Amino acid sequence: MTIKHVLNGLLISLVITSFSASAQVKGLIQIRAVASDDATAFLDNGVGLYRHGGDSDNVLLSQGVIDYKADLTTGWSAHAVLNANQEPKVSLGFTQAYFQYQPLTRSKYKWHVRVGGFYPLMSLENPDIGWLSPYNYTNSAINSWIGEEVRTIGAELTIKRPARQFNSKHSFSFVGATFKGNDPTGTILSWRGFALHDRQTTFNEGIKLGPIASLNEFDLRWQASQVLPFEEVDGRFGYYVGMHWDYLKKSQFRLYYYDNNGDPTAVNYSSGQYAWDTRFSSAAWLYKFNNNTRFIAQILKGETEMGANALIDNAFYSHYLMLSHKLDKHRLSIRYDYFNVDDNDTTTFDDNASYGEGFTATWRYQVSKTVQLGIEGSALKSFIDNRAASNLAQRISQQQIQINAQWRF
Amino acid sequence: MVKLMIKKIIFLSLLTVHFFTDASEINIKTLDNKPLANAVVWLKSADTEPPSESEITYAMRQVDREFTPRILVVPQNAKVVFPNEDSIMHHVYSFSKAKSFELKLYKEQPKAPIVFDQTGVVELGCNIHDWMLGYIVVVDSALFAITDAEGNVELPATAGTYEMSVWHSGFSDISKVETSEVTLSGIDFEYVVKQPITATIDFTTDEFDDY
Repeated sequence: MTIKHVLNGLLISLVITSFSASAQVKGLIQIRAVASDDATAFLDNGVGLYRHGGDSDNVLLSQGVIDYKADLTTGWSAHAVLNANQEPKVSLGFTQAYFQYQPLTRSKYKWHVRVGGFYPLMSLENPDIGWLSPYNYTNSAINSWIGEEVRTIGAELTIKRPARQFNSKHSFSFVGATFKGNDPTGTILSWRGFALHDRQTTFNEGIKLGPIASLNEFDLRWQASQVLPFEEVDGRFGYYVGMHWDYLKKSQFRLYYYDNNGDPTAVNYSSGQYAWDTRFSSAAWLYKFNNNTRFIAQILKGETEMGANALIDNAFYSHYLMLSHKLDKHRLSIRYDYFNVDDNDTTTFDDNASYGEGFTATWRYQVSKTVQLGIEGSALKSFIDNRAASNLAQRISQQQIQINAQWRF
Repeated sequence: MVKLMIKKIIFLSLLTVHFFTDASEINIKTLDNKPLANAVVWLKSADTEPPSESEITYAMRQVDREFTPRILVVPQNAKVVFPNEDSIMHHVYSFSKAKSFELKLYKEQPKAPIVFDQTGVVELGCNIHDWMLGYIVVVDSALFAITDAEGNVELPATAGTYEMSVWHSGFSDISKVETSEVTLSGIDFEYVVKQPITATIDFTTDEFDDY
């Protein structure tokens, strides 16, 4: 039984069990018009690091989200997020589907469990429905990557010491999870590098790898032309642990350590996926200067290894700094991203080093409770060593401007 | 002329009666003699019995992930509804002795009111938004009010002797009220609470703090 079977079973039971229960359905449709540089986007098999590029549609459905929550019993609830996507092909898929058990307890300490497929809550950039950002349209490099290659398919326990219960200004949560799948996690960082976009991978999707010359080498011959990030390859469990510390909700800090515990020598020959041993730490901080202005930052640092005798051994790092100001119906958010991958192995035919930085500025205007308009401009420069092997310039500068119209229901 | 005199006397005596039936202003102060806002004050005498069945339905709303009002005083046997005015779900609960309950509340899906038939302090929380905190104070009197920013309440009490109770969410034991016998004579009455008041902690939250 594969992860897909488990998730499908979970989804079916989720829909069946929740018909009689109290349900809450929310949705969001976002249409985007975009003007970009000529670099072909990675989604279209190119080396461009934005979601949109020379060959992309200029007008598209950039987000189509249904967020479903149903109460099954006092403690149990079912959650699912369904995403409609137009590119690279029209598709429908779930990005999250899980059960949550959150008992009402007399104890001052609170706890809950999530079981299924969901995001680890290590970031502070994506609190809107469907893991969207209410700030920039284009996610940070860190959360672009988490959205495409990281998803818990397992069980997570959170124990919380809420501030109110202890008449304190500080809340602490401790999180621990174990999961299957996520063995190819790290593939895209090694061969493409970090990117800047808001295209989350659904459970049944793959991410195209673009022109990577080294995949023609004998040692990498099993790799398919796409990454299936949530595949189980080695049969081993991964884990992560995390800590949240809030001060009056004015300052929110999250620290996580993630290890997919991949067996770097394992390969799934039929799906063309290698297992990568990917470990990283993430620290995120949100600070509200006042009700209108906030600062968000995140740092992610880790390593990934694949193949016998460290055939591929890379270290990756990224951080972003974001400032967002809300004034009446307007929200302005500006962000700086930096990212790099260092190639630490001695394999000469597969160079994975890359670095880049980006700047993103977004203005959103809330027309009504349900309608929002916004414009975003961004610039990005990247230097990726393996572009040379495909006879492409290693350094690329990219820019894009997009207009978004969003409707919620 | 005599008629006019009589009228005047009646008028003056009415004024005097009116003076005595006028509201009594009570001023609540902290140990360090500062006005105590948001203190609940109620008076008990033979004439202040709450009705056995309340005609008024009280409301404890949830607005922007906070209980509104933060403190609601109701007479014993009052009905209280819990309208959720947020677009997200709330899971309101109480483990208090006076009333233990839980309600899953969805937007625009009102639930039946809850009858608070026991006196005492009911502490409200939300199992989803754990910073939310509210109180329903159930009193065995029809004469109650919450002090304003200056620590004042005005109660329509005639002059006389009452059992006065005072409660504040900053009491170290929130299930205990301070009760004393007071004599109101129409002039302002001052009461100093007998314990230090713990400051209320305010959490600055918005729609993105659920995450």
